[in-house]
Amino acid sequence: MTVPAATSSVTSSRSQGVPYRLVASYVLPVAIIAVLPLLPFVNNYIIAATVRALIFISLGQAWNIVAGIGGQLSLGHGVFLGLGCYTTGILFNRYGIPPWIGGWVGVVISSAVALVMGSLTLRMRGVFFALATVAVSLALVQIALHFVDLTGGGDGLALKFFGNSLWAMQSRLPGPFLYASLAFVLAYYWITRWVLASDFGLAMQAVRDDEVAAAAAGVPVFRTKVLGFMLSAAMTALAAVLYMQFYMAIDPEAAFGLSQAIQLQLPALLGGLGTAFGPIIGGAVMIFLSEVTNWGSTKVGINGLDILVYGLMLLAVILHAPKGIVGVIFRNAFAGRAH
Amino acid sequence: MEATALLTLQAILSGVLVGGVYGILSIGLSLAFGVMRIVNFAHGELVMYGMYAGVLASRNFGIDPLAILPFSFLLTAGVGIVLYQFVFRHFVGHATLQQLLAAIGCALVLQMIAQIIFGADARTATSAFAGQYVVFGPFFVAKVQIVAFAVAAAATLAVELLLRLSTWGKAVRAVADDPEAAEVVGINSQYINIGAFALACGLAGLAGSVLVSYFPTAPSVGFSLMPIIIIATTIGGLGSIGGTFLGGICCGIIQQVTAMTWNSALQDVPLYALLLLFIAVRPTGFFGVRSE
Repeated sequence: MTVPAATSSVTSSRSQGVPYRLVASYVLPVAIIAVLPLLPFVNNYIIAATVRALIFISLGQAWNIVAGIGGQLSLGHGVFLGLGCYTTGILFNRYGIPPWIGGWVGVVISSAVALVMGSLTLRMRGVFFALATVAVSLALVQIALHFVDLTGGGDGLALKFFGNSLWAMQSRLPGPFLYASLAFVLAYYWITRWVLASDFGLAMQAVRDDEVAAAAAGVPVFRTKVLGFMLSAAMTALAAVLYMQFYMAIDPEAAFGLSQAIQLQLPALLGGLGTAFGPIIGGAVMIFLSEVTNWGSTKVGINGLDILVYGLMLLAVILHAPKGIVGVIFRNAFAGRAH
Repeated sequence: MEATALLTLQAILSGVLVGGVYGILSIGLSLAFGVMRIVNFAHGELVMYGMYAGVLASRNFGIDPLAILPFSFLLTAGVGIVLYQFVFRHFVGHATLQQLLAAIGCALVLQMIAQIIFGADARTATSAFAGQYVVFGPFFVAKVQIVAFAVAAAATLAVELLLRLSTWGKAVRAVADDPEAAEVVGINSQYINIGAFALACGLAGLAGSVLVSYFPTAPSVGFSLMPIIIIATTIGGLGSIGGTFLGGICCGIIQQVTAMTWNSALQDVPLYALLLLFIAVRPTGFFGVRSE
């Protein structure tokens, strides 16, 4: 139900004076994903991998707000993923509150945590904010491990399964999640577009590029940074509902660990920091490569090859393509146009 | 009451000993930041390689991990030079978003290489001092911890003296203060930076071999040590060697007292709170250099 509506809104807003090529490049991928389950060669594995990619695109889009547009390096965005997952999971398992409500509770808690963290640390420039986000995420690992009654400790928290149900957002098959995550990707893409074009987004970019100049031009630097961080945290916590309902379980490492935090960053970094399209390409590339290396590492019998590949991707992008895949494509496109 | 006071004193004592090792773990990070404004998130991984060097020496050759300190130092200093040439050379002078991310990339690669070589299981080294305890009055401490603390304190003192008294140390401090002015008076800041970075990384390996004399290693140990290293460095002051050592001791005391009097599973939580407090109120720590 969601997808045709979303598709038509894309078409109508892009078709005014926009080249046909652009419309096709937006509508076609959405349409392909929407009809994916109907195609003959597609099995549940491919659908599940696509859902994973779409979930990490959404999460990457959320991180992109604070890091790409705002220039603040949050290394601990797993905090908000974890708070979102644990909040929905605990509320559902203990009190039967559906994720439709629990998710918003998670959003409120995450925003509050972001407000406190940001207020404490965002007055400083540079490394201290990054260090503080690492500290909070690692503290939450310990806390989650300790309060076993609430969080399940190291074994993690598994959602109780009551059969396929829209009310509980549960499904044994990945199909419904395809449409839910596609809606998330579209919504987050447009939110990012809106932020980039808004006064608030301009203020964030001004702060990112030169804090002193931004302050001199009358931008409330500190408030802009905190609000950007809160928006990013809220978006991460909301997408965490999707993550939790799809994976059905969360544990402290998967929620707050540093390797999870890196998976939240890679889509935007690979695709192109601070662009609305970057995380979409980057997330797709990241999940594709991780599926390939997982397949390869089971073949050769070595665990953790995907993390090695993530590390190499991170280094390659930062050293050789700091503007990501989107940057490379656009540089070539503009170079071609100039000649 | 009497028993609680004794327990607390015992906790403080072991906190100081553990904290000295936290100090030596951290001073390399502090040095790299002080000279080049590089926050090396791969520092913990270099510590991990130093720990594996100790494990291999102890398991395969029967050498005490504390006896191979010069070798561990050279090993990780070499890794540090490679990292500098390929990665950190591009980021000298500013702790930018890209620099932090590049360091994390290095950390992931180093960690996974270790996992492929050594496997994911925890490994231990056997020190000659293992299992021996020193008792004085109502207190007792493991001998290996006393030795580790002594080595850590001596190494810190040596680095501090090297930076304060030697010509090379003066050149390093000159580059840290103002690279351009240092170039003007004839110092090649590139060479100084490579040297300082190699020293910082070598200290990580040395610290690893000290730590492994009583603490098991695994490929993930680098990541799990990073928080305490970051906290010790921030409390003591990014860029100050002596300050960082004291920061490590503070961390050790707080951690052990928390574990003894409150809850050992949550022993690091007060440290994280302290880190946030320091970042909010005094980000340069007790003795740190100004960030920008």
